[in-house]
Amino acid sequence: MTAEKKFKEKRISIVVDDITTLEIDAFVFYASHDLQLGAGFGSAISMRGGPTIQEELKKFGAVETGAAVTTSGGELKAKYIVHAVGPRFQEADTEGKLKAVTLNALKQAESKGVERLAFPTMGTGFYGIPLDVSAKVTLGTIREYLANGQTKLKEVVICARDTRDVKPFQTVLESLS
Amino acid sequence: MQAQERSYKSQKVIDRMAKKLNRQIAGSLAACVHCGNCTDSCHYVLANPGDPTYAPAYKADRIRRIFKRHFDWTGGVLPWWVKAGSVFTDQELEELKDVAFGKCTNCRRCSLNCPMGVDFAVVNRMTRGLLVSVGVMPAGVAVVSKDQWEIGNQMGVLKEDYVETIQWMSDELVEALGEPAAAIAIDKPGCEIMYTINPREAKYDPRTISDAAKIFHAAGESWTMPSEGWDMTNFGLFSGDDDLGGVVARRVYEKAIELGAKRVVMSECGHGYRSTRCEGPNWAGMDVPFPMESSVVTMLRYINEGRIKVDKTRNTTPVTYHDSCNNARSCGMFEEPREVLNLVVTDFREMYPNRAENYCCTGGGGAMSMSEYTPQRLKSAKVKADQLRATGAKVVVTSCHNCVDGLVDLIRHYKLDMKVTQLVNLVSDALVIEKRAAVPVTEIAAALVLAGRRILVVDDEPDVRTFLTAMLEDNGATVFAAADGNECLALARKERPDLITLDLSMPGMDGGKVFEAIRKDPELAKVRVCIITGKPELRKLIYERDVTPPEGYLDKPVSEETLLTNVRRILEITGEHKAH
Repeated sequence: MTAEKKFKEKRISIVVDDITTLEIDAFVFYASHDLQLGAGFGSAISMRGGPTIQEELKKFGAVETGAAVTTSGGELKAKYIVHAVGPRFQEADTEGKLKAVTLNALKQAESKGVERLAFPTMGTGFYGIPLDVSAKVTLGTIREYLANGQTKLKEVVICARDTRDVKPFQTVLESLS
Repeated sequence: MQAQERSYKSQKVIDRMAKKLNRQIAGSLAACVHCGNCTDSCHYVLANPGDPTYAPAYKADRIRRIFKRHFDWTGGVLPWWVKAGSVFTDQELEELKDVAFGKCTNCRRCSLNCPMGVDFAVVNRMTRGLLVSVGVMPAGVAVVSKDQWEIGNQMGVLKEDYVETIQWMSDELVEALGEPAAAIAIDKPGCEIMYTINPREAKYDPRTISDAAKIFHAAGESWTMPSEGWDMTNFGLFSGDDDLGGVVARRVYEKAIELGAKRVVMSECGHGYRSTRCEGPNWAGMDVPFPMESSVVTMLRYINEGRIKVDKTRNTTPVTYHDSCNNARSCGMFEEPREVLNLVVTDFREMYPNRAENYCCTGGGGAMSMSEYTPQRLKSAKVKADQLRATGAKVVVTSCHNCVDGLVDLIRHYKLDMKVTQLVNLVSDALVIEKRAAVPVTEIAAALVLAGRRILVVDDEPDVRTFLTAMLEDNGATVFAAADGNECLALARKERPDLITLDLSMPGMDGGKVFEAIRKDPELAKVRVCIITGKPELRKLIYERDVTPPEGYLDKPVSEETLLTNVRRILEITGEHKAH
């Protein structure tokens, strides 16, 4: 555990790990429009989770930016994977689209009764969204969502791939009230 | 006249270019006088005579025109004169992609041949980075980049598969040598060396790992492989993504710091060597607190210091050497691989041109990942194929995994009767592992293995003298001790030791001068010397001298096991001699 903050009975934490290996109810995968798992974390999901996950995705076809769908976690430790299609590569209205996809991912998890959900540092890294932008939008959206008294979510974990990702998220997390 | 509308991505490329221009890039964009000297230095040009679109100056002009139009005053005043232009459509970005990724391997041969100092490769790399930032890149580049960003290595090798491969190689090596001590340690703290590799080794060529392990073991090295940060290649160098470059380099550095490794050694990979050792600290914005070196240098040091023995008659097939562009042209590593080759093979033949002027393998630090450009890449490889064929060699050696794949591909395409290998394989094949190495130190020590040996310990620190003296006497040696250079020489002439352990940093005459005096004294010249120093940076005191190198070299602090193993090796005491 790198950092955490409690908001009454809810908690947001930051860890550095491989998100596909987490023992958690569900995690978010930053998916592509065609919902092909592809390379990177997608490749790890395929190899560790087995072929059924890609099979399950067939029924959704292609989806628009901002949308999110859910599959099982296959043979992974996580029960569900939320496939969320976010903005990429300096796309127009990055912040608006990132907020929308984060919110939809939360709602997808909620619909499955998830209590512990992990997010990657949404859109950073390969897709080039700056860390500070991702931290501000995703943590802000998550905090807002958790403030809703109706949610069953108890904990959201931000799973950073690298140590460089931690500080921007930690800074924003500390600023949240 | 109505202004032409610019696409969203085109505008983003121009915006980001403003952030990427530095003095090196701006100088290269501004300084070209189109003299044409670069033209014949490019293997793409040589393989495509009559097609000017492959000329480095022409390729650079595709991005130079944008620089002139938006960032250089000449383009504002005389745009038609300086051929300033801009980019407006996504189609133009695609065309720029085909130039930046498909018509250049960033080998930098043209850069070396430019009288104006224009480094087209840095311009081309910036162009790639600008395109990647808006998602315009070959599919293969996207896959490799995403794998390295998210899985941690550019071939998508999962951690459990990597660890399993290392353990497999370790088990095989232990069985082959019959020595549990040959096992490969993962994440062992406090080692002298953290050894990093190219993921190609874990995925396709694990023999290079076991060969390296065999060499480390034979040298009595304290080493480990990391479970994270083990990929020393860095696709940011190829794709132009500086953020990726920084993240990947940081993974290696942070792991070495966590493990307390004193040095990072990179296996043979030009791309990895340049990105981790040379470019990485800048991308990562880190002061790296330990030295980094290519395993080529490590192997050469082991041989020169007598830490491993090699028999070149085990490698008699004619070999030639291909200089990796990143190792040689960009990092100046020309002679070390040739020194190693001359020590481990009997028939080494240079190819021409060589060293800084050698031609690219066409694998180009990652070019193999872009299958859409394979036909033009292989066409350009004719230059390399002709070079290889002319040597008459049956084996081409290279210190780069990208070059291995590039060379294998072109050898197959041009039907050459050659194989590709690396120095680590040849050194391993030539390695002489004597049975004495298999005898546990404790067993030998019990039999007073150093009985009858006379050893002079030279160190200005009383604690070190006491420590070394006690260990050597406990194992049967007759030990003399000296606190400085003059005392050392006097005692050596009087007592005629079999071995002198020599500190480098001492008041008065430093260890380097003492060593030279020993070697130049006819009565002492053949006394064996083992340097034991806490200041590895002082090595030049020894190795820059025109005398026979020392028989051994150890870094402080030295353990009893390491000391005895090396003293036995230097004095050629085998396990069978334990009845002394």
